[in-house]
Amino acid sequence: MSTIFFGIADRTFVFDRTVGRAEFSGSGFRAPMDLAVAPDGRIYVANRSWEYRPDGVRVTMLTIDEDYIGQFSSYGDGDGQLIWPSSVAVDSNQNVYVTDDHLNRVSVFDKDGQFLHKWGEAGSGDGQLNQPYCIRFDKEDNAYISDSGNNRIQKFSKDGRFMSKFGQQGSRAGELNLPWGITIDNDGNILVADWRNDRIQKFSPDGQYLSDFGNTGTSVGQFRRPTGVAVDKDGDIYVADWMNDRVQVFTGDARYVTTFLGEASLSKWGEEKLNSNPDMIRQRNMVQNKEAERRLWRPKAVAVDSEGRVIIVDSNRQRLQVYRKEVR
Amino acid sequence: MAESDIALMAHLMRRAGFGATRDELEAYVAKGYEATVDELVHPERQPDVDFDLMERSLPEYGELAGIESNQQSWVYRMVNTKRPLQEKMTLFWHGILCTGFAKIDYGRMMSIYADLFRRKGLGNYRELIMELSSHPTMVYYLDNTDNHKDAINENYGRELLELFTLGVGMDGNFNYTEDDVKAASRAFTGWSVNPALPVFPYGRSPWSFRFDPTDHDDSEKTFLGKTGRWNGGDIVNMAVEQPATARFISRHLYNFFVADEPQVPAWKDTPPRDPEAIQILEKAFVDSGYEMSEVMSTLFNSDFFKNARFQKVKSPAEVVAGTIRLVKDHQQVKPGLFPVMKECTFMGQDLLNPPTVEGWHTGREWIDSGTLVERINFVADQVGNLDLPGVQLIASRMTGDNSITSPEAFVDGCLSLIGPVEVSEKTKEALVEHAKGGGEIRRGTEEERSSFARRVGEMLQLIVATAEYQYN
Repeated sequence: MSTIFFGIADRTFVFDRTVGRAEFSGSGFRAPMDLAVAPDGRIYVANRSWEYRPDGVRVTMLTIDEDYIGQFSSYGDGDGQLIWPSSVAVDSNQNVYVTDDHLNRVSVFDKDGQFLHKWGEAGSGDGQLNQPYCIRFDKEDNAYISDSGNNRIQKFSKDGRFMSKFGQQGSRAGELNLPWGITIDNDGNILVADWRNDRIQKFSPDGQYLSDFGNTGTSVGQFRRPTGVAVDKDGDIYVADWMNDRVQVFTGDARYVTTFLGEASLSKWGEEKLNSNPDMIRQRNMVQNKEAERRLWRPKAVAVDSEGRVIIVDSNRQRLQVYRKEVR
Repeated sequence: MAESDIALMAHLMRRAGFGATRDELEAYVAKGYEATVDELVHPERQPDVDFDLMERSLPEYGELAGIESNQQSWVYRMVNTKRPLQEKMTLFWHGILCTGFAKIDYGRMMSIYADLFRRKGLGNYRELIMELSSHPTMVYYLDNTDNHKDAINENYGRELLELFTLGVGMDGNFNYTEDDVKAASRAFTGWSVNPALPVFPYGRSPWSFRFDPTDHDDSEKTFLGKTGRWNGGDIVNMAVEQPATARFISRHLYNFFVADEPQVPAWKDTPPRDPEAIQILEKAFVDSGYEMSEVMSTLFNSDFFKNARFQKVKSPAEVVAGTIRLVKDHQQVKPGLFPVMKECTFMGQDLLNPPTVEGWHTGREWIDSGTLVERINFVADQVGNLDLPGVQLIASRMTGDNSITSPEAFVDGCLSLIGPVEVSEKTKEALVEHAKGGGEIRRGTEEERSSFARRVGEMLQLIVATAEYQYN
């Protein structure tokens, strides 16, 4: 568990912008699960959509300034298709990897969404997958996957060759219960959002347990089903605290820094949508308290871009909320 | 374990829940009938469904924006709940204290509304009606947002008396007057809903109740013979305490849980099917101070309930959820529950969207040539699917000599394990004739066991196509 330490005043965070709107296709998102930021700034958002609206299953491509680039993939089990997309990552060649926790495979696309190949098969043996929920690359282009249903993390080459694994079902140190988000910190260690154990665990690159922080609850430093984790260049840790509808920030040694509850404003795409629906503007103007709309609602993932902006997938609001760190 | 005990327990679980598999029935019988009833009326003693796992796989279960997600989420709960009576009471109240998506147009408010019945459906009826009257879903559904001090809208005031508490009449007499409706409506002026965010661009947020004292008629009113400066809460208190309310709710309970009654509009002039049973329920309702858990305990432990097997036509929700429970499918979140849920709609019960504020007509009105075909096709597809664990369980539990099973024993085994279902002699003869047609029923070799399982599936499909199977 983390030591609760208030008064870390050497950095502050300011709300930067809101990105996106609710759409089943085109310029927006529907049940976004994860995002990846490519070195050129292009953002890929994996949309799971709703079961009865499979037309919303896709990957949206955009910039942080809400320039819509396009979308790719669709619902199905054919090559390049997705049933339950769960995460997205980009390798050093900007190929795009999308995990699917129903099909138990990884689909690989080029930077513009052209399908290249797929790998992975269902099972519990080495290299097999049972609900892959998150994929992230280390500096050597190796992929770590949270093999959630098998309660382990597996390491693959980027073409899908099994390399190693760690973790097993349980709640003791080093054990996992339906792990979801993962990230690799600046030292190459792997941080895992140990979803049903309500904690973050840190492992060395070879899978040795190093430490953990957090437990079940709603207080500072506690979690309710953490889904996403990210680390910035200073080593600060961001946790998408899913069922608490917030993102918590910690120092690299797990001291609590602050909480983001969400401060969303109208995004560019959001304003465009409203401007085409005068009745919606009228209805909005009648509402005295729009606070609920500003808040995070089931944030699923968090990422830090090359400029240090913290981008949160505000899943049930179908948008991204972006914060910026200012260091004194 | 006696077949009669299993049959009685199966009856209880069909009515107080959505059925049970043979393994579950045996566990309940071992526990005892009265102990099982006690467990049913105290759902808080059992764990709730795992919301985190539901929402993890299907984000729409958390957002609940469209009506389909809400309907699907509810069917998932019916199938997987360990608190079956809680879900059955939710369905019961949903069909009486009606609101509907067709007007509400925000799915999540329909689930928030259904949650009221989960929380209070086995609790105190007075508290239930009190919360109902200020629930934003109901306030909007029955136009109380248009009920103003200087221009009353009678919709809620009228339905509160006609459909939610007293009923139009009983024993040939009216239970209230038009003046009572007007007085009730005036008492509810100023009970409204705050303006809510529209769907674009980030989705809606739950609505909230608002009381506007400047729009409330605080003057004197005469309601059911009593005069005072009544507000909505006073009206609820007086309505709940009327003997007519005890009668009205008891007839609804009897119709839903015991045996089909005539439809509600006939209740003023048509006496109950079993007046003695209604009296027992009325007494439990009043003596308990309107505690529904005590009323339900009285009902399930009564002889009139135990003797009322197969006297109700299954509702579509009972058909769908009961079948999926029987075949043990969708026990975890996986794709494919949406089309299953839609079967309720195709069979005539669009969950969370009843046709009017009167809810659905029940009993034989569930059945017409179209919905009957939907029922039979849906259930036959499920019970004939040998890949489903519940069907495999039935086949594996068939008793009899491993080498040869008589056609009569084969049919009896299938009838027992799918219910037990009781059929007429004529139906039984037809089923036995079919069983004979496939030659000797053997299970000696691997090939014979495979054939045996296939024949079990076929027999189950025939059973679910009988008239008897449509009854609960």
